[in-house]
Amino acid sequence: MTLKTLPPISRSTEKFSLKNFFHSIWRQRWLYFLMMPTLIYFAIFKYGPLWNAQIAFKDFKPLLGVMGSPWVGFQHFETFVNSFYFTDLLTNTVFFSLAKLILGMPLAIVCAIALHETWFLRYRTFVQTVIYLPHFLSWVIMFGVLLVILSPGNGLLNAIIEQFGGDPIPFLTSPNHFRWVVIFSDIWKETGWSTILYLAALLAISPDLYEAAAVDGATPLQRIWHISIPGIIPVIVLVTLLRMGNILDAGFNQIFVLYSVPVYSVGDIIDTWVYRQGVLQFQFSLATAVGFFKGVIGLVLILISNQIAKRVAQQSLF
Amino acid sequence: MLRSKTRDAILFQIGLAVFLTIILLLILLPFWRVIVTAFIPLDIYTREGIPFFLSPTEWTFEAFNQLLGHSMFPRAALNSIIITLLGTAISLVLTVPLAYGLSTRNLPGRKLLMTLVLFVYLFSPGLIPIYLLITGMNLTNNYLAIILPPAVSVYNTLVMMSFFEGLPEDLKDAARIDGANELQVLWHVILPLSKPILLTIGLFYAVYFWNEFFTPLLYLNDNDLMPLPVLLRNILISASFNEYVEYNAFSSSSIESLKAAGVLITMIPMLLVYPWIQRYFTKGTLVGGVKG
Amino acid sequence: MKSWKMIFIVCLLVVSQVLASCAPAATPTEEPAATEAPAEPTVEPSPTTPPEPVDIVLWAQATVTEAGAPPDDWVAYDIIREELNINLTYVIVPTGADGEAKINAAAAANDLPDLFQMVSANNDNRGALLRLVDLGLMAPVGDMMPLMPERVKLHYNDQLALDLVTFYGEQYGLPEPPPIPKREGLVIRKDWLDKLGLDVPTTPEELFAVAEAFTTQDPDGNGKNDTYGFGGFLNGEGLGTRFDFIMGAYGVPGVWNFTGNGDFGLNVRSENYPEALAYFKSLVDAKVIDPDWPTLTRDDFRARWKQGSFGIMWEDFAALTNKSNYEPFDTNFPDAEWIPVAAPTGPDGDTYYGVYTGRGQIFGVSQKAADDGKKEAIARLLEWMATDGYYLLGFGEEGVNFIIDDNGNISTEGLDPVQAYTAPERQPYTQMRNQLIFYNSEQEIVARYPTYETIAGRLMDPMAFLGFFQNEPWVDGRGIQVILPPANAADFNRYYTEGLIQFVLGQKELNDETWAEYLAGLDSLGAADYEAAAQQSLIDAGLLK
Repeated sequence: MTLKTLPPISRSTEKFSLKNFFHSIWRQRWLYFLMMPTLIYFAIFKYGPLWNAQIAFKDFKPLLGVMGSPWVGFQHFETFVNSFYFTDLLTNTVFFSLAKLILGMPLAIVCAIALHETWFLRYRTFVQTVIYLPHFLSWVIMFGVLLVILSPGNGLLNAIIEQFGGDPIPFLTSPNHFRWVVIFSDIWKETGWSTILYLAALLAISPDLYEAAAVDGATPLQRIWHISIPGIIPVIVLVTLLRMGNILDAGFNQIFVLYSVPVYSVGDIIDTWVYRQGVLQFQFSLATAVGFFKGVIGLVLILISNQIAKRVAQQSLF
Repeated sequence: MLRSKTRDAILFQIGLAVFLTIILLLILLPFWRVIVTAFIPLDIYTREGIPFFLSPTEWTFEAFNQLLGHSMFPRAALNSIIITLLGTAISLVLTVPLAYGLSTRNLPGRKLLMTLVLFVYLFSPGLIPIYLLITGMNLTNNYLAIILPPAVSVYNTLVMMSFFEGLPEDLKDAARIDGANELQVLWHVILPLSKPILLTIGLFYAVYFWNEFFTPLLYLNDNDLMPLPVLLRNILISASFNEYVEYNAFSSSSIESLKAAGVLITMIPMLLVYPWIQRYFTKGTLVGGVKG
Repeated sequence: MKSWKMIFIVCLLVVSQVLASCAPAATPTEEPAATEAPAEPTVEPSPTTPPEPVDIVLWAQATVTEAGAPPDDWVAYDIIREELNINLTYVIVPTGADGEAKINAAAAANDLPDLFQMVSANNDNRGALLRLVDLGLMAPVGDMMPLMPERVKLHYNDQLALDLVTFYGEQYGLPEPPPIPKREGLVIRKDWLDKLGLDVPTTPEELFAVAEAFTTQDPDGNGKNDTYGFGGFLNGEGLGTRFDFIMGAYGVPGVWNFTGNGDFGLNVRSENYPEALAYFKSLVDAKVIDPDWPTLTRDDFRARWKQGSFGIMWEDFAALTNKSNYEPFDTNFPDAEWIPVAAPTGPDGDTYYGVYTGRGQIFGVSQKAADDGKKEAIARLLEWMATDGYYLLGFGEEGVNFIIDDNGNISTEGLDPVQAYTAPERQPYTQMRNQLIFYNSEQEIVARYPTYETIAGRLMDPMAFLGFFQNEPWVDGRGIQVILPPANAADFNRYYTEGLIQFVLGQKELNDETWAEYLAGLDSLGAADYEAAAQQSLIDAGLLK
């Protein structure tokens, strides 16, 4: 069984020569031409703001502008790192990020495989359409739904617990339970949406492979294990690597809506802190500095994960 | 697809169906509540809150009437459609070439390009640096201010790149031997094979633009330019600031019903588009290309 | 496959079109952007009356957000142009954090509008103004005051409010009259009291007993154990402002000690504070307060009292008694009745209803507008809004949208209902009313809070509730406006609030030792410096001796 997992490692084994180099550029001139608009776009709309982001190292004053504001070095970074709850914030953020990834991704993959495998095509279309819909519920709406299910006063779940003689659990205000509420509500809302991507990957696998497996008399599980999973490994690795790069983004919108004072100790994340401290207090330099901080951590993690992926899965981003 | 109907295979199919049904129910549950909330009459809502089931005789379109009948609704919906279509088109046109370039392994400078792209992914400049750029270009009160900054998502680009990489190399080589340049390879070979991923990424972009409300609030000043999410948000805020609004003009539905109806209304286009996209989500899209 | 390529080509064309049109700056898109005139000042500044109209961009919040802005052919725009020689561009800014972000972003780009309203997510309008003043973006407005005598008389007549917007010896803000002060109060279900044969509670103990009876004795008689004594939600720092009547019984209402008893400082320094917390905790422990209170939003809370979930609460008089707000409750429980209740008196005889802050909207003029010589025109506009333009912007055209009846009251009698100023269709035309036009005159209040009959035929008078509330012992907390947040505001506020909630919810045990620990933690976050700084700014503002 041959698979076409082609690690995109650039082949720099050939001897380097200037002539060859220019020749190969000329050979790809059409491709460069094609990419030109996007590259110009990147220069203006992606690197332009990054240039302005130097205010992270400055005491930004609107009248002086980005260039004219005085440099303050790493002062804003120090403010953030030395802030009272820094360790708390970092732990909570990483915890939510990792938990959502580790628990959410396998479920999405399983769903995608199940949808891909099923014979009932109409049912598949129906299920697929329905499970992607919760993605459109905003977190404000989700909060309403969660309140109805989890409220200690009249929530559905607590009604069941009380039926069995238990004490109602204040899921949304108890620090122990709140973490799981965040993780599972995120999985609940986003699994169907992530399924789309894996399903598209499964559909790109050549049917020849499945036919061959059927001829060999493979069981369904063997087929999944030896064809489907390897077929979507590149996407899985890619998504995981990218998520590692954004590990300090733990879902601001969700936490902001769901958290409350009693669960700050487990719920407060970097972005909610930045919101309370930076954006609303006109400390834009601080907010930008935290953005950089997150980028550096993401960079380190993505480099490490890339190495691991290379070793373990023979896949890599670069 | 071969369907060998052995006993194992049938058991497996039953298992799958049960699994999918469980997932379906788990996901429908909160959704069901949203639907009930949207249709619940105000008197029932204020009497007993939102019941789990709604009697077939006691429901109302009032919340939908209030939203759809709003004098600014047609305008806002049109604005949303313009932003979504324009945004998705620009996004795809800019994303596809970059993804294809990055997937071409022997492209000189690919590594540098990848680094530059990833750098943007890791380091987000934040609100103010982008705002300064947009005002510097005099783009306030213009849809381009909403569309251009997020037009290329690195995440989407890399996902697309990964799909392009997965396409059989011999296809491209065959075309190249025939004397096709990269432009022609992309046009004649790659794109026809990439419908599922183009649709998926297009959907990701479209949904983003369709739901976006913060940047319109930030960059647009003219009320006539505001898209649907902004209008819905304004209606909801208005309903909840009722102690300062004394006139009894806006309360024939509860805020909860308005919220729920707003969600359902914004979902409708996505509900219509998705099954259409799914038509292209069929097996064998690739084999057609390979054999063709 | 053909259709696919067609779509791609169309997209390509559209994009190239758009990119081409965007390359030279400031060309509007082919779409609706063209309808709006560019907001940049095109008039050369000149100190004398300009021959050409002055362009003024006004940013203010809407009164009714959903109604949108007035149309371009609004008659007021024409009048302003003809009579005042001003081209007014009126932009509605979002409420809350989004609005604050919009103004802060414009400030960061030094692109503030000429005249605008301060927007602050946590209601600190003065702080928002001061930040902009410190950045050098605001113009002093003191010299504008003599140019608008009527408006000063009606709107800017409160010396304290004027002092609060004066920084470094210059007045920078135009403080609009705050919404009616002391407008919230404690209310209780009289029908429930009567049914259970209870008296109106006057002490914390009696309050507890009533709350317990409301929770356990089925006051609504529906046979279900589905009611609570108290309802509430968290707003603001610490336990919020909605339980100040409880804290007040122990002499510690609000965050700061403005009662004049004892030294100024954080109320948590008082030895009464843990006592008050212990009482609050007993309410939570006994489950006589709706257990969802720490997570509820204001809307959830309001939905619940309308559903008859609890019988004691702190509520805004208009949110409770205005016809549109009371109607759903009235429909559900026509025989029910809320009555206002006096502040309970605590063990040491303390009784405070709440703390009033006197916070109102503040408008400011950007330095950019002053540099362009627009201050005089802005004053002209504001004066007009308080005089000739008052009825037009507040209600509409007399005889068409409203009439003034024999008693001198605003009325819509005999008018086409679609044209009445209260009709939804008319809301876009009076969007400025709560921000720039109204000043709480007798006539306005009568028009805004009319008396009506309930379903059961009882007479409901919102002003009676307001009158009751205003006569209660409130603490003058207007000084809070001058207190600036500490540099580590996010951390300090979290620690302060989280700790109190943890004590009340029993997540942390409440005893002398843990309380001392809590205070020590506050000090490690710089509480003492914060208090000293607060005290100093109060003394500087002449609010504390």
